[in-house]
Amino acid sequence: MSHSTHGTAPSPLLQVEAISCRFGGLLALDRVSLELAEGEIFGLIGPNGAGKTTLFNVISGLTNPSGGRCLWRGVPTTGLGASGLNRLGIARTFQNLRLFESLSVRENVLVGLHNAARAPLLGALLGNGSFRRHQGRLEARAMELLSLLDLGALAEQRAGDLPYGDRRRLEIARALATAPQLLLLDEPAAGMNPSEKDDLQQLIGRIRDQFALTVLIIEHHVPLMMRLCDRLAVLNFGERIALGSPAEVRRDPRVIEAYLGGSGGGSGGGSGGGAGRAAGDGR
Amino acid sequence: MDAALLEQMLLGSLLALSVYLPLRCGQLSLATPGFYAVGGYVAALLSTGVAAFAGSGATSPLPALVAEMVLGGMLAGLIALAIGGPVLRLRGIYLAIATIALVEILRVLNLNLPFTGGAMGIFGIPQPFAHAGGYVLFTLALLALACWLCQRLEAMRLGRAMAAIRDDELAAASVGIDTPRTKLIAFVASAVLAGITGALAAHFFNSWNARAGSFDASITTLAFVVFGGSRFWLGPVLGGLALTALPELLRPVGDLRLILFGAVILLGPLFFPQGLVTAERLRWLAALLRLGRKRGHQAPQAP
Repeated sequence: MSHSTHGTAPSPLLQVEAISCRFGGLLALDRVSLELAEGEIFGLIGPNGAGKTTLFNVISGLTNPSGGRCLWRGVPTTGLGASGLNRLGIARTFQNLRLFESLSVRENVLVGLHNAARAPLLGALLGNGSFRRHQGRLEARAMELLSLLDLGALAEQRAGDLPYGDRRRLEIARALATAPQLLLLDEPAAGMNPSEKDDLQQLIGRIRDQFALTVLIIEHHVPLMMRLCDRLAVLNFGERIALGSPAEVRRDPRVIEAYLGGSGGGSGGGSGGGAGRAAGDGR
Repeated sequence: MDAALLEQMLLGSLLALSVYLPLRCGQLSLATPGFYAVGGYVAALLSTGVAAFAGSGATSPLPALVAEMVLGGMLAGLIALAIGGPVLRLRGIYLAIATIALVEILRVLNLNLPFTGGAMGIFGIPQPFAHAGGYVLFTLALLALACWLCQRLEAMRLGRAMAAIRDDELAAASVGIDTPRTKLIAFVASAVLAGITGALAAHFFNSWNARAGSFDASITTLAFVVFGGSRFWLGPVLGGLALTALPELLRPVGDLRLILFGAVILLGPLFFPQGLVTAERLRWLAALLRLGRKRGHQAPQAP
C-alpha cells in the first residue's frame, strides 16, 4: 500500500517517507513511514522514548530529520520551517504546554489567528473603520473558538494563571485558530481525570467533523486511543512496529511484547497505558 | 528645570523606546547607541559639509533638519537590515554581546574614518532653533509620534506577534508567525528611531563625536528600560525621563551624586522588579481614568 499512486488516485494528505532522526549516538527515529488519509483520526502510540514527539517535531518543522522526507498532498515540505508548515495547514499542540503565558486567553487565540489577521498597514495605524471591523471579526472568531472549548468565561484571564486542563484546551483552541487541515495533538489527555478524558474524546471527534480535520494524536491512554482512532501506528525505539486498525494493532504480537515485555495476555487495551510506561521507559 | 535638561530627558526617552522595541519581542539588543551615533554623524556631516543643508551661518533651515533625520534614520535602518539576519539568530545574552560588538565597531570606525573628525569629532553644527525651547517642542512632537506608534502596535497583528515571540518563540513559529522577519522588523524599527534621534541630538549638542555611541551608553539606555519597565511603552519613556534627569538634579550633592545615581539604578529593580510601569499598575490607572471619565460625563447632567 505504500506506493500505489497509479492513475487518478489522489495523494494522501501527508506522507511520511522513511524519516530518520539521529541525535548524537541516539537513533530517535529509524526510517519511519506513515500515510495519513484526509479526515481520519490517526493514533501514534508507544512507550516513552519511542520517538513519538520527535516524529511530531519533524512533521511540524521544529526538527530537521537526518533522513527521509515528508510530503504534503504529494509535495515535499523540506525546508519550510515551523511557520511555513503551519501556513500550509499543519497545526500542533505541545506535550509540555507552550502557551503565551503573559497574554490573556483571548490574546492567545488572536495570535493563532495571525495569518487571518493581515490588514492594510495604514488602516491599522489609523485604526479606521475597516480596520476596526476587521478586528471585530477576529475577536468574534476568537470568542467562538473559546466557547467551543468551554473557555469563553476565562477569556480575559492570563494564560499563565489557568489550571492544567484549561491550558490543554487553550492550546487546542490556539491551534484551531490557525485554520489547519491537519491537527497534531501531543498527549492532549495527560493529567486529565477519566471524565475529562471522555469529554476530550468527544471534543476531538466534534472538532474533526466541524473543521473537516485530519487528526494525528499521541496519547498514552490506550483505551481512549482504541475508541477514538481510525488507525494506529505503534513506535518502539524509533521503529514503527505496527500499523493498522485498533483491532489489528491490539492483536499484533510485537505490540504486546513492546508493551508488556514478552508473553503478555490478550487484553491488550485494558491497562496498556500504565504497563507501557512501566515496561518501556527506555530513554 | 531648564529647557536644555528637558531636551536631554526627551532624547533619553526616545532612546529608551529604541531599546524597548526589540525587547518587546524578547530580543535584548544593546545596539541603540551605535545607530544613534550613525544618525548623528549623518546630520553633522550634511549640515557642516553640504551647502543645501547648511543654511546661512550658524542657523540651518527646519526642512534640512527633517531631511537629515530621515536620512540618518534610513542609514541606521539599512545597517540594521544588513546585519539583522545573522545577528538575530543569536538569543538572549549572546545577542546582547553581538550588539555590543556592533556598537564598538561603529565607534572605532567613527574614530578613524577620514571624514568623521577623529577623536575631536565634528563641531559647529548649525542650529535650526534659536532656543532650547524650540528643540523641546520639536522633540516632544517626535516623542508623541513614537508613543502613538507604540500604542497602535498593541492593537495590531505585528504587536501581538512580537508579544508571542517574547513569550515563546517556538510556539509563535508553530502558529504561523514568521519569527525571523518579525524580529528583524523590530530591530530595524529600533535602529531607525535611534538614527532619527541621533540626527536631532547632533544639532542640539552642537558637536558630535564617537563618544555618543559607546558601551557606557548601551548600558545607560538599557537601564532606562529596566528601571521604567519593558512591558509597555510608557515604562521606557518614564525611565528615560527620570534617569536622564537624575544625575543633573543630584548635582547639588557634588561627587556623591554618582553614588546616589548608582544606588537608584540598583534599588529600582530591587523594589520594582518589573520596572515602574507594569500591567497591574496600568489596569489600576485605566480603572481610575474610567471612574474619572464617568464622573465627568455625569456632571453636566446634574441640574
